[in-house]
Amino acid sequence: MSDVTKGQVLLEAKGLTRHFQVRGDGGFFAKKRTVRAVDDVDVSLRAGHVVAVVGESGSGKSVLSRMLSRIIPPTGGELYLRGELVDVKAPRTLAYAREVQLVLQDPFASVNPVHKVMHAIERPLLIHGTPKADVVTRAHEVLESVSLTPPQQYLDRYPHELSGGQLQRINIARGLAVNPRVLLADEPISMLDVSVRLGVLNLLRDLCDDRNLAILYITHDIASARYIADETVVMYAGQIVERATDTSIIDAPVHPYTQLLVSSVPDPENLESRHDVASNVESSVRFNYEGCRFSPRCPQAMDICHGNQPPVTEVGPGHSSRCWLQASEAQRSAVTISTKQ
Amino acid sequence: MTTEQQNILEVKDFSVSYGYGDSAVRAVSDVNFTLGTGHVLGVAGESGSGKSTLVYGLTRLLRAPGVISGGDVVFNIPTDDGVKEFDMLAASEEDMRSVRWSHISIVLQSALSALNPLRRIGREFDEVLRAHDKKRNKAERAARAAELLDMVGLDADRLDRFPHELSGGQRQRVMIAMALALEPELVIMDEPTTALDVVTQREIVSELYELRKKLGFAMIFITHDLSLLVELADEIMVMYAGHIVERAVATDLYNTPRHPYTLGLMNSFPPLHGERKVLTGIPGSPPDLKALPTGCTFSPRCPYAMDICRQQVPPLSTLDDTGRLVACWLHEPSVGAAVPVELSKKNVSTKGGVA
Repeated sequence: MSDVTKGQVLLEAKGLTRHFQVRGDGGFFAKKRTVRAVDDVDVSLRAGHVVAVVGESGSGKSVLSRMLSRIIPPTGGELYLRGELVDVKAPRTLAYAREVQLVLQDPFASVNPVHKVMHAIERPLLIHGTPKADVVTRAHEVLESVSLTPPQQYLDRYPHELSGGQLQRINIARGLAVNPRVLLADEPISMLDVSVRLGVLNLLRDLCDDRNLAILYITHDIASARYIADETVVMYAGQIVERATDTSIIDAPVHPYTQLLVSSVPDPENLESRHDVASNVESSVRFNYEGCRFSPRCPQAMDICHGNQPPVTEVGPGHSSRCWLQASEAQRSAVTISTKQ
Repeated sequence: MTTEQQNILEVKDFSVSYGYGDSAVRAVSDVNFTLGTGHVLGVAGESGSGKSTLVYGLTRLLRAPGVISGGDVVFNIPTDDGVKEFDMLAASEEDMRSVRWSHISIVLQSALSALNPLRRIGREFDEVLRAHDKKRNKAERAARAAELLDMVGLDADRLDRFPHELSGGQRQRVMIAMALALEPELVIMDEPTTALDVVTQREIVSELYELRKKLGFAMIFITHDLSLLVELADEIMVMYAGHIVERAVATDLYNTPRHPYTLGLMNSFPPLHGERKVLTGIPGSPPDLKALPTGCTFSPRCPYAMDICRQQVPPLSTLDDTGRLVACWLHEPSVGAAVPVELSKKNVSTKGGVA
């Protein structure tokens, strides 16, 4: 892996956006409605770094990973692979797939059950032009790299003979088979048994450090993001609401949504405050496209939040938040003036 | 309730197998516990530990090839004049029907598959109320359904909705409201929040906490998330491969775990606070019930395993005066093993003795 240096930007998204047109309320002939699944997201995946994307279901984190792997084309924004602009409208190329690989959530559903494990590992190798003679050696290598030893014992088995943790390692091995630079892992541990989750997390971290791999780790578990990530990004309703390059996003979150997320995690160290967040009732309006998307559920929402998109404000080194609470006086008054006119 | 210490559920040597004869797999082995009226028992363990099988067995909801292979389960139904002992395993299916839902109800993990997708929510409520309470008329049943939804923080207009029109959290609230419809004395929750987001989980757990304070039902709460149990449960039972490996007061279990598996389970969750350091979790894979190791079932994965662990099954014995039970040779005085420091921490909490 001599051609990349640690910290080099491998895959960069600028203003990446995906809108879906869906049928509106009122039946087949109703006017179409736009769902803004991902809106204006900037992410840089660097060699040897793990970026964690945290969010609830529907926050757009999986759509983001599908766009980065070019399975879903974006409706806006740009994608750069090693600094070169990618034509996102064109179909995904084999060369792109060799650099960027995706690992999915459900290990049982993503390995073909009627073929032996060898089939899953050799397919990407053959598709990407590994000579037939080298396929077996290479398959052994990748299985060893995910600590499945001896490899032959696993290659000869069917997926149903393996546990969830082992299958997820097979999945990761398949992703690594073609030596990609970027690994996108969409909730890789959420379907696994509790006792084997850490093993898979540690594996991802080791792969990242040893091979200078750039990893995007998608999760709904903010504690696991704190464990593995160099940068943590919190998404809500398609937008990045807070991001930080250290653990300050969990130790001192500034955005009300991140605060809600962190305080919702079961925490036996802090039993006293355990039932305080109940005041934040589940709002029937989940988000608002006019102003801040979190404003219908936000316990600290102000007038300005409902009608105006909040700006992104730097709150510390590498730590920023998209919230009116942290916006400067100038930014707030600019909005009040423009609404008055 | 006149007697404070009344047990609502008494389980003795309860075992469940899947299959018959030589090929039978023991999913639950000789489980003993009692549950006090209004108490919360948390059951923790991984998939395959037998935690769900245990409650399906207790409520006789097991499907073939699941068979109850032994034990006694007594459910004490409070009546106007004291309690009536109800033998759950000897009762006829008809008697069981009268006890289920009115006295014991169960909330399952997946609310989407538990609700009929072709029926409006209101009809599900109506059916439950009609089947168990013949006295109410239709309007009264609808009013009761609205009252129940209100109790879990949902608007009455949800009664006209179909399950697919509700979010996952709302569906799970509907399930909880339905479970409480007949004011049971015992509610069993089988991973009710596992499929939900952490924020929704928090809302539902807080709601359960309030409802229990108000209605006073006892609860068996099953989950793999130990830290969630510490918040909710009075006592926690940790299961591994069908056996209880440790049972203790919730905070004691969390602050001073004694069984290596409990410790491993706790270390499998990255913490929210403190220094970032590499955790190891538990090596190896969860056990295959078809090919269990001899001796302690956890011994192949246990970092402290000794020779005796691989030969003999450790008994579940009382460890201290808090009534803590542990099945581990490390803590057996007869073996005289040196207990590692992480499994012999002194209890800093105020209640309970120093171990």
